[in-house]
Amino acid sequence: MKERSEFAVVNHSVPRGDGIAKVTGSAVYTSDMAVEHMAWAKVLRSPFARARILSIDISQAKSQPGLIDVLTGGDLKGLSPYYGHGVRDHPLIAIGQVRFVGEPVAAVIAEDELTAQEALGKIVVEYEELDAILDVDTALAQGTPRIHETDFADGAFRGFDDFPGAAGNICQAVHVAWGDVDAAFAVAAHIAEGEFYFPMVYAYAMEPYVAIADYDAKGQLTVYSSAQHPFMVRHDLAQVFGLPLNSVRVIVPYVGGGYGSKSYTKIEPLVAACSWKAGRPVKLQLSVEEAFLTTRGDDARVRIRTAADAKGQLVARQATIHLNTGAYAENSPMVCRKAANRIVGPYRIPNVKIDCFAVYTNTVPASSYRGLGGAQVTFPGESQIDELAEKSGCDSVEFRLKNLAQSRESIHPGMRPIDADLPGDVREAARMLRMDRPLAPGRGRAVCCSASDAGAHPVTLAMVQIYADGSVSVLSGSTEIGQGSHTVLAQIAAEEMGVPLEKVRLVGSDTAVTLFERSTGASRTTTLMGRAVLEACREAIAQCKVMAAEVLGVPAEALVEERGGIRSGETRLTWSEILEKYFQMEGCSIIGRAYLRKAGDLKLVPVFWEIGVVGVEIALDEETGRITLESLVTIGDVGLAINPAMTEGQDLGAATMGLGAGLFEELIYDGQQLMNGTMLEYRVPRFSDLANNVEMKLVQNRDGVGPYGAKGGGEGAVNPISPCIANALHQATGVRMRTLPLTPERVWKALQEKKARAST
Amino acid sequence: MTTLSRFEIHQPASVLEASQMLAQYGDDAGIYAGGTELLLAMKHAALNYRHLIDLKVILGLNSINVRNGSLEIGATSAHRSIERSAIVRQNQPALAEMESQVANVRVRVTGTLGGNLCFAEPHSDPATLLLVLGGTVRAESATGAREIPVAELIAGAYANNFLPGEVLTKITVPCAKPSHRAGYMKFQVHERPTLGLGLWMETPDDGRTFTSARVAVGCVCPFPTRGVEAEKVLTGSRGEVEKRLPEAADLIADAADLVDDHEGSVEYKRHLIHIFLRRVFRKALREPVS
Amino acid sequence: MNIGFELNGKPTILEIEQRETLAEVLRGRCRLTGVKVSCEAQVCGSCTVLVDDLPVSACTFLAYEVRGKRVTTIEGLADESGRLHPLQQAFLDNFAFQCGFCTPGMILAAKSLLDENSNVTDAEIVAHMNGNLCRCTGYLPILKAIRQAATELRGQK
Repeated sequence: MKERSEFAVVNHSVPRGDGIAKVTGSAVYTSDMAVEHMAWAKVLRSPFARARILSIDISQAKSQPGLIDVLTGGDLKGLSPYYGHGVRDHPLIAIGQVRFVGEPVAAVIAEDELTAQEALGKIVVEYEELDAILDVDTALAQGTPRIHETDFADGAFRGFDDFPGAAGNICQAVHVAWGDVDAAFAVAAHIAEGEFYFPMVYAYAMEPYVAIADYDAKGQLTVYSSAQHPFMVRHDLAQVFGLPLNSVRVIVPYVGGGYGSKSYTKIEPLVAACSWKAGRPVKLQLSVEEAFLTTRGDDARVRIRTAADAKGQLVARQATIHLNTGAYAENSPMVCRKAANRIVGPYRIPNVKIDCFAVYTNTVPASSYRGLGGAQVTFPGESQIDELAEKSGCDSVEFRLKNLAQSRESIHPGMRPIDADLPGDVREAARMLRMDRPLAPGRGRAVCCSASDAGAHPVTLAMVQIYADGSVSVLSGSTEIGQGSHTVLAQIAAEEMGVPLEKVRLVGSDTAVTLFERSTGASRTTTLMGRAVLEACREAIAQCKVMAAEVLGVPAEALVEERGGIRSGETRLTWSEILEKYFQMEGCSIIGRAYLRKAGDLKLVPVFWEIGVVGVEIALDEETGRITLESLVTIGDVGLAINPAMTEGQDLGAATMGLGAGLFEELIYDGQQLMNGTMLEYRVPRFSDLANNVEMKLVQNRDGVGPYGAKGGGEGAVNPISPCIANALHQATGVRMRTLPLTPERVWKALQEKKARAST
Repeated sequence: MTTLSRFEIHQPASVLEASQMLAQYGDDAGIYAGGTELLLAMKHAALNYRHLIDLKVILGLNSINVRNGSLEIGATSAHRSIERSAIVRQNQPALAEMESQVANVRVRVTGTLGGNLCFAEPHSDPATLLLVLGGTVRAESATGAREIPVAELIAGAYANNFLPGEVLTKITVPCAKPSHRAGYMKFQVHERPTLGLGLWMETPDDGRTFTSARVAVGCVCPFPTRGVEAEKVLTGSRGEVEKRLPEAADLIADAADLVDDHEGSVEYKRHLIHIFLRRVFRKALREPVS
Repeated sequence: MNIGFELNGKPTILEIEQRETLAEVLRGRCRLTGVKVSCEAQVCGSCTVLVDDLPVSACTFLAYEVRGKRVTTIEGLADESGRLHPLQQAFLDNFAFQCGFCTPGMILAAKSLLDENSNVTDAEIVAHMNGNLCRCTGYLPILKAIRQAATELRGQK
């Protein structure tokens, strides 16, 4: 293995490949695109959370000049209109009934946006309102009607093979258990027990959902979309329209933010159906207010207890997690699986019992949100670690160090052992935060950590094309959603092929051009696609060696690989020279390829453990209850940072997103209606929320299965932020908060209650 | 993107003509003075004007002057130009400072003080401060002109006491005197403030005693509200006034119709009034607030 | 109606509808898609463009308003030879963006600040930029980029 100092391109903070385009405004996003002869769609949405659709009268709308067509649930004959990669429960437009306020009921297709907007108002829908099931308890109560009246057959895509499908209002149940928790709690010296709530959140990708679909006369479907997983979208579209995979082409240009909210299929089937019906290419651009009504994160109620023995060793953890999954499954079954796994935390705990349920309600469908269940369960998990440390009379950092899994130690039976230095990371965060300094009044400090089974199902295919002039293309199905994948993958190709970075071009994502990549999420791209690109380069080099051997008339084993080519004795040939001599023609190219699957060293799940370690010092305004960040430290235990500046950027970005759910972000329902579904009311972190001191550190022990020992990042820091703030608040005030976000009023009220208790 | 429905923009040459246009188009017409609130409301079809009367094209309606000891601010003066105006900074620094805190820089560049007062958004800042600074507005129509104290202008959330055809042309604010102390503070969690609190006091002896006071609260209630009873207890020696701040805060909260909403409970809002009355008192005296 | 204005330094006459926002006209009629539309409520700042050097939210600002004025979009910042504006270069150097959707608005908002005063404090930067949201970076790289550009612009004066 190369030493770090030997890297020419990787492990260097080279400028982003998409940088010039993004600072000059020339980067094209789906929302910026238009195709010839394109019509516009707008969506009429349900005003009711649960209702039967009795009739839809489109006659008035049809007479609107400029209107092309209207699509409703009655028009889908010949299609398989339900989609969903885990549970096929989601109609592309409401069929006979609606299940949440905001569900698409009709789509109008017109020559321009204004005409489409005006036509919406002329559609008359008659509903029979039904009692809405708005929360988990109601959904689970005896006698509550089912939100979906049928049991869904296992519609699972490969990689979701542990989904049993839905039954009743439970969309998914996951049970994780080992040891004997009851016995352990019976004899434990210290027990912390409580109920926690993590709020409903909205990812606010700044580019709202948008897609252009062209279902042409030859039965070829081309879709441009702001989607994270083009191949999963292709899969759903092929099923809906009964098309072979080679007739569905999904192209993803630059994406204006994802954070999980653009995982899997969103509006693409609806837009494609509009094009199918209207016989025209159709663009649907949602507003942010409509995006609020499209996907959110699962809110979570967690009943949890954790026990330690008299020496401060963790002995048991038991939790029951209820996720409010909303009206459709989307990716919540996976959130359910991951929440169940991740609540164990990065600790060795001999007795564990976790029961996690994703529950349907008549609210906006929940799905992936950065960290995939990690943020929801790290809040209770890490809050309780501090509670137990206190009960054990132990410093919270020392308590963690005593219980954290060491490198190569297993925390989940049957899963990959920990491939990170958790104790070292936590110790470093505590050092950076200078925990030993005295605290000013109203200040509190804490360090928290998490370990997430990341990477998702490892099926990742890649190609590199080596051209006769020495330039290189990387054909990758990973989506550039801002995380910098195009830069990182180009760095890896440049490193392996020994060519300057400027000579490497990224091609993708386009399902007609690039090979299959399951998804762009779960922090997998550097690890899996990075490794696939590396292996594809190695394969191309192997081909070049065979060619060079023939050209030079020497055995291939006699060739020595050098940066950018080979050497045989005193003869040196670059890749370019090899191709020219071999083909005896200019302009040729060869393909190197790699097919990664769940085999070999990728057989054990997870692909890697994604570590989140953060520390904060908070400042509390005790009079108003407002919390601000004085200091923030992050540790990125990433194996090797292909691009250190971008890796740190992921940590700070994730920590800031975590800060949002910790302090401000919460979707609020009043009855059936989402009350704060606009950016005027939904508060995300701003410039002024930036901590006064920010310090980030990368730990690069090269302990991952990715290229050069790399592992993924980008979702770790989102998880431990909110418990870190809550623990720091506890240190500052003695108040233990179990409901997020920690809004000023919520904190103030807790302080009042504490005062009241103290005075009685 | 949400598109605006069609409308026609009219460009009156004078206030009189604007007033005539208002009368002519009736409920179909709205005054367009900056559009920061208006166009948002129209995008959401909360307002559906077919005619917009562009007040900004009337010459001189965005001027800022001092006359007879008062600032005269033309209705179409943008928040930003008030914030940056040397005349305002010199003659009523509390107003300039409040303006510098309105929303964000883009809203301040586009939005106007006149438009803000006319729209009467419950979570806006300016009216609350103008109440305590003794601001008045000038309303003009074909039948004449009148001065309306800001307190009398306010009729409720999104509601004003203009007569049909009246156009707000000018905001008049008495200049600060050496014996005056004034300040405005807000508490903000979301995009719009949770609380706005304005305080004005007269002190003949540099803050040792206070001979009169005006205080108003906004955002916590449907419209900015003076705490008239509170003002009565905010006179006397500094020590007495400081001791009575909690009493005054309760009187302010009693006067305002506090509402439970997304920004907070009535209980919390009442508490915030207590905290921020003390802070704004210090701020008005140019002392550290906490 | 016809409106005449200066768009990124070039005199421009356009036929527009009065109801059209500046974002619609710039993105649709002028194909300047660097103007990004997100919240549509003047909160996020992604649609920020400069009108007579001052920032406005193009999503809720009528194109009608730019009669006789100068409009600057992100496409107008680099010079004729393609040399980046110091802010653009600083955003590149500091990795001050990820998805890039907020970037044109961020850069233009920062430009309006530095054009007026390149001798800015961090507090002034934060106050001015607080109405521009970024969901990716956590803001610190943007703050660093604006500091760097301010230093460079001070040197140019």
